[in-house]
Amino acid sequence: MLIPRVPSTFVPSIVMPAFLTVAMAGAFSGLVLLPGFPAAKALDWFIPMTTVQGAAFAGITTGMGVARDLESGFYDRLLLSPTSRSALLAGPLVASVLRAVIPLVLLVLIAVVSGATFAGGAAATLATLSIASFGMALVAGAWSLGLALRFKTQQAAPLMQSGVFLVVFLSTAQMPIDYLTGWLHAVARVNPMTNVLGLAREGFLGAVTWDGTWPGLVSLAGLSIATIAFAGRAMTKVVP
Amino acid sequence: MTGVAQYAALSRRAILNTFRQPTAIVPALMFPLLFLAMSSAAFERSIALLGFPQVDSFLQFVIAATIVQGALFGAVAAGADMATDIEGGFFERLIASPVARSSILAGRVMGAATLGFFQALLYFGITIVFGLDVAGGVAAMFLVALTAGVLAAGIGSITVAFALRTGSTEAVQGSFPLVFVILFISSAFFPRELMGGWFKGAATLNPISHMIEGLRFLVIEGLSASKFLTAFGISAAVLVVGLALAGGALSGRLGSRA
Repeated sequence: MLIPRVPSTFVPSIVMPAFLTVAMAGAFSGLVLLPGFPAAKALDWFIPMTTVQGAAFAGITTGMGVARDLESGFYDRLLLSPTSRSALLAGPLVASVLRAVIPLVLLVLIAVVSGATFAGGAAATLATLSIASFGMALVAGAWSLGLALRFKTQQAAPLMQSGVFLVVFLSTAQMPIDYLTGWLHAVARVNPMTNVLGLAREGFLGAVTWDGTWPGLVSLAGLSIATIAFAGRAMTKVVP
Repeated sequence: MTGVAQYAALSRRAILNTFRQPTAIVPALMFPLLFLAMSSAAFERSIALLGFPQVDSFLQFVIAATIVQGALFGAVAAGADMATDIEGGFFERLIASPVARSSILAGRVMGAATLGFFQALLYFGITIVFGLDVAGGVAAMFLVALTAGVLAAGIGSITVAFALRTGSTEAVQGSFPLVFVILFISSAFFPRELMGGWFKGAATLNPISHMIEGLRFLVIEGLSASKFLTAFGISAAVLVVGLALAGGALSGRLGSRA
């Protein structure tokens, strides 16, 4: 319900990815001239990243909503009610994934209107992009929920956003792994987000194959397990 | 208290206020540096592209944009501080006191300018450790910092005007995305020569592009009076517009109280 009632918590997750798509695809359009660059258009390279980022920020609004409820005291009533803790954990996480539908649809529309290349076929491209987006919404939702339950204040919002921002940008968000230099190349190689973005981009850059898909799925599974465990541990400790 | 003393006291308060708020100043300082570190490592190989300016590194290309980015981000804090003064009632006490009305604006604008100036020098200091070569030397660094300070004062004036109109910290902080848009639809992070279509047109129309390109010239090529005056002139124009808006907003707020 936070979407229509507190738009300030959700609008940035729609507006910012749309703006970043325009800004990055426009400003860095010359990158495709680099020898061996994997995309024909900068839009094909950047729009999967901004879509996944938008989904992640949509997931974060879940944690912000829980933090708001903790501050207002409403969450205390939930904790005192005969509701299982697993339901209190699962509910916001499902909401995180559902919220990601909005930026996903918006950015796919932008991709279609702007002439993005669905090189792997429309269905396969949308499937891999959706899996990556919903997966990252779940991961970001669990991360933000864990922080909300620990800090019990909306002032934790910058920490929620910074965590997602760093994980995304310390990967191949801006450039392919072979073009990264120095410390960023080393970090991006071990950052699971590189594989998640590989999954999201797969259909925009070529055919969708199992070899290009499974690393992203494994990375999403690992990130999901880690962040859900982080949120679950906080849920077991939170008291009214 | 003389007029000069009033200006000095309110300016001092605003400057101390700025530097005593780590939650406001640290993100404005650190985010551009973080972005600089990531973009330098990400786009280093792009400097080999045909049409890219002759630079030693992407760091040398992008440092001017980072300094402007820091000045813009820090300037938003000036407006937020003014809104906090309004919300907290300090503004009412100032109005009730016999201080010159213009000194209320001058204090906030000086705070933003000081932060912008020293932040620019700090960025140069840090990036020189990581190998930045400034072709124009110390003089270029001073001129870039001076321009950044004037720009910060200009954007700070605009956010102060917004604070005086709305009286809301949240509304002032909500103006932050506009700053983001102005910066990103420009040649701040990539040369215009390598852009295409409507985006190149928009970046060309954006005065921030020409300001950053002027400052960039001082870093990459060396001192140039025309390039500096172009950059400084744009910053000064922003300041003039900002002060006019802030003056109007202050008059409006005082008028609404009467």
